[in-house]
Amino acid sequence: MFPGERPNYMVGGAMQYGARRGIWNILELLDKYQIKATFFVVGTTAEKYPDTAQAAAKAGHEIAGMSYAFESVRTASTERERSIVRRSAAVLQEITGNRIQGWRCADYRISPQTHDILAEEGFVWDSSMLNDDLPYLFECGARRLVEIPFTTSTADKTYVGYPYPQRGGPDGLANVWNNEFEVLYGESERARRCLIFSLQTWATGRPATLRVLRQFLDRLAGHEEFWFARCGELAKRCLESPQDSHSKV
Amino acid sequence: MWKEKHPSQPGRWPQGVRLPIMVSVHHQSEEATCPFPDGQPDPFDYGERQYGARRGAWRLLEIMQKHEVRGTWLICGATLEKYPEVARAVKKAGHCVAGHTYAHEMMCNLPKHTELNLIKKTVAVFEDLLGEHIQGWRTCFASHDTVDLILEHSDFAWDGSMWNDDLPSIIEGYGRELLEIPFATYSDTALGVDITSPGNPPTRYSTWNANTPEFMFRGWKAAFDALYERGAERAVMMPLVVHDFITGRPFRSKVLDDFIAYAKQFEGVVFTAHDQVASWWKDLYSTQGK
Repeated sequence: MFPGERPNYMVGGAMQYGARRGIWNILELLDKYQIKATFFVVGTTAEKYPDTAQAAAKAGHEIAGMSYAFESVRTASTERERSIVRRSAAVLQEITGNRIQGWRCADYRISPQTHDILAEEGFVWDSSMLNDDLPYLFECGARRLVEIPFTTSTADKTYVGYPYPQRGGPDGLANVWNNEFEVLYGESERARRCLIFSLQTWATGRPATLRVLRQFLDRLAGHEEFWFARCGELAKRCLESPQDSHSKV
Repeated sequence: MWKEKHPSQPGRWPQGVRLPIMVSVHHQSEEATCPFPDGQPDPFDYGERQYGARRGAWRLLEIMQKHEVRGTWLICGATLEKYPEVARAVKKAGHCVAGHTYAHEMMCNLPKHTELNLIKKTVAVFEDLLGEHIQGWRTCFASHDTVDLILEHSDFAWDGSMWNDDLPSIIEGYGRELLEIPFATYSDTALGVDITSPGNPPTRYSTWNANTPEFMFRGWKAAFDALYERGAERAVMMPLVVHDFITGRPFRSKVLDDFIAYAKQFEGVVFTAHDQVASWWKDLYSTQGK
């Protein structure tokens, strides 16, 4: 939205699809394949659609925070950023019953204080960075925070989202995901590797993209020696053996 | 002032060479990160780019080693200072190492004396940290002064800053010669992601405006097939530009891997570097060109 503009229901509706329909489609698919994933839930989304976050938590998925109302914190004061983190955590705890351990900045842009605030608030991991294939550790004062970097270059919305016209569409996204897996899986024979896909409920939740995800999961069935991890499980492993969490090719 | 010298006839490469392909890796990592209006770097843009030095460059190096491909690595001075272990591994692997400005400055927006200082600073960084006296240079956003400055104030043997031709040219001026080896419009930034659209400041790298790996491969294959055809009759070359933070991502790195595997099946295709092409072109000009 540009300043002064009101929400338009072309874009708003396409996004709202994620809460009305997309997340349910994704939950159904993950349930069928018995995969536990991590759901980053915006505070206001959880307030508007509490049943979606509750269903995800109940199915054993990890719930993580991603702002209260999609605030950008890059230039926010420490006080304001801390209050956003606390408010999001409180809302998600009230709705799902669990205290969140992980965080991703809504617009993928940290502030200079983000990691310190998360560590001070008792978080175990963050996933706002985009600069590596493997998790690594931040020392934040006396505390440690696990960073689980991700990338938007393989994100569903890059190929089946905005800007229009879509670049590649569902087939193109399949091409991206298959390549990413093939290369990382090949490299994992020589060194530790980790694959992380960022999915939007409003993009991968749509039938054509959901089918791409299903076909991707079917493709994995022929491979061995990989592990579907929730971010919290991965973070735990990194804390237990920090020497393994970062290594060069 | 300077003038270009072109051969009077198309010319041929040395016996057996039909199409030289120069894999040219831009190792710049986070240097070209686009700042916000408040002057601060965009953390998102910064992170996606920083991946280049932390992971991408290593992956590209590994792919080139696997195929025994010698190429050209264009490295920013600041990147070399921050990640010297990458450049040292590149040099050790025998690649041609060249300068790519200090911190990926848009020289077209800078005064002449600033550009000159940045060239000198970068040359010194390579000497200090890599023990390498660089012979080649590329400025993606060259200024009207770039060629003059290089001729007058450097001893570079070649420059690769221009996008304006299929073939090298000899540039004569300031009492010496410089070889210009231009690059082409099928780089990963042209086919893969939107980052070099004309404009100021350059487009923020957000990854949103991206083509699929398959699209990139088709673009490279189309360029290759056309050049290979032309190569039967005259000297042609294929400068193939990839960036550590773009093609270094796993899903795009496969495009380079697959493309090298495809191209090297053809008779007369040689993967080589700018220094070799410069030397071939000088021979071609002196024996066939005049």
